[in-house]
Amino acid sequence: MASAPMTEDNSYGAWKFCAWNGMIFMAVFMYFWGWLGHNLPPFAGDTPASEVAAYFRDHRDAVRLGMVMSMTFAVSYAVWGIAIGKVMDYAIGRGHILTDLQVWGAGLTVVPILVSSSFWLLGSYRPEALDDTTLQMIYDAAWLLIDLAYAVTSVQMFGLGFGFLRDKRAEPFFPKWVCWYSIWVGFMFVAECFMPFFKGGAFNRSGILNYWIEFSIFFAYAPIITWYSLKAIGRIRVENGD
Amino acid sequence: MHAPSTMSADARKKTLALPGDEGVFFFITADMAMFALFFLVFMVGQAQAPDIYRASRAALDPALGLLNTLILATSGWLMVRAVEAARREQWSAARRNVIAAALVGLGFAATKAFEYHAKISHGITLNTNEFFTYYYAFTGLHFFHFVIGVLVLAITQAKLAAPEGEKTRIWLESAAAYWHMVDLLWMVLFPMLYLAGGTA
Repeated sequence: MASAPMTEDNSYGAWKFCAWNGMIFMAVFMYFWGWLGHNLPPFAGDTPASEVAAYFRDHRDAVRLGMVMSMTFAVSYAVWGIAIGKVMDYAIGRGHILTDLQVWGAGLTVVPILVSSSFWLLGSYRPEALDDTTLQMIYDAAWLLIDLAYAVTSVQMFGLGFGFLRDKRAEPFFPKWVCWYSIWVGFMFVAECFMPFFKGGAFNRSGILNYWIEFSIFFAYAPIITWYSLKAIGRIRVENGD
Repeated sequence: MHAPSTMSADARKKTLALPGDEGVFFFITADMAMFALFFLVFMVGQAQAPDIYRASRAALDPALGLLNTLILATSGWLMVRAVEAARREQWSAARRNVIAAALVGLGFAATKAFEYHAKISHGITLNTNEFFTYYYAFTGLHFFHFVIGVLVLAITQAKLAAPEGEKTRIWLESAAAYWHMVDLLWMVLFPMLYLAGGTA
């Protein structure tokens, strides 16, 4: 007698599409939010208000487009988290609390991305009518929010890392190093706490530590997790004979 | 000409195997790589403003740094004793050593609290200058690692109260590896912040 499949949902095409949303999010985020929004890297905390304001005024349409796209595709991060959650359900059993933490962490990550992008969009909406320090304040607010909301993403990363460590397969869906990478990235995000205290140097929002290192390890995260999620979905499909 | 090996492949593999869970070593390696970058950033800053760093270093008390070094080294030694006891399946002895390691380790927190309080009460804060930015940031992050380590030791002693053989031994070795990382990072932080390059 054939064993019953471990999942009733065999819409693997949809699973894969959702998993690919990790890469879609990252591509949109880097180009539209990062490049067009002048966040790759951002203005340093000690950049004169006139320089920040001039950027909004001279590139208003680029910033508007960047943030509109960033807000539109922010939800793809949650969609990606749901795909990872489906794999976790299969790997460690349905309804595990670590799966819930992963899914909720991914879902809540959308909120600071949406809200901070709306701040940048606000700055580009009528920059000619706003003074330099107001525009600088809007830019500062967006960065303070997106950096200091790190903990919601850490929850996703801890849920994912500790969750897949419970996968007892001979060849787990996610190798141990990926699980520990996830935990480590979530752990190291705590360095963002230093950001509000600095306007220049390594810990300011564009500094080597708080921007280049922290964002690099985050930018590497989505491709790595997406790759192993897609591989896992393929294996689940084979295991279920679909 | 090589002498014929008398060690079996399995024995060789066991000898070369990392203690604890190998995944934890990925975390440790990544973490230490991050701190290595921190140290590099500090060294670059020091090369650019040696006088500020030298004068600032003079405000730190190397005796407190040394005390913390001794505390962490002693705590680390107790963890080694715990691992050795666990390998002999002497679980009670292992647990006692873990508890002792945590209690001795708490001395580090007390010293850091005293040191931070003394600095802040003298008006030396995160924004005093670049040296103290790094001093608070790096020792603060290290302290965060320390707090996590103490929590891990607390969980470890609870697991040792109801040991599950190999599983508990692997947990203990992993916890010890992490605790040694906390120790090792301090062994670099101490000379870098308190001693390197002399004082004014």
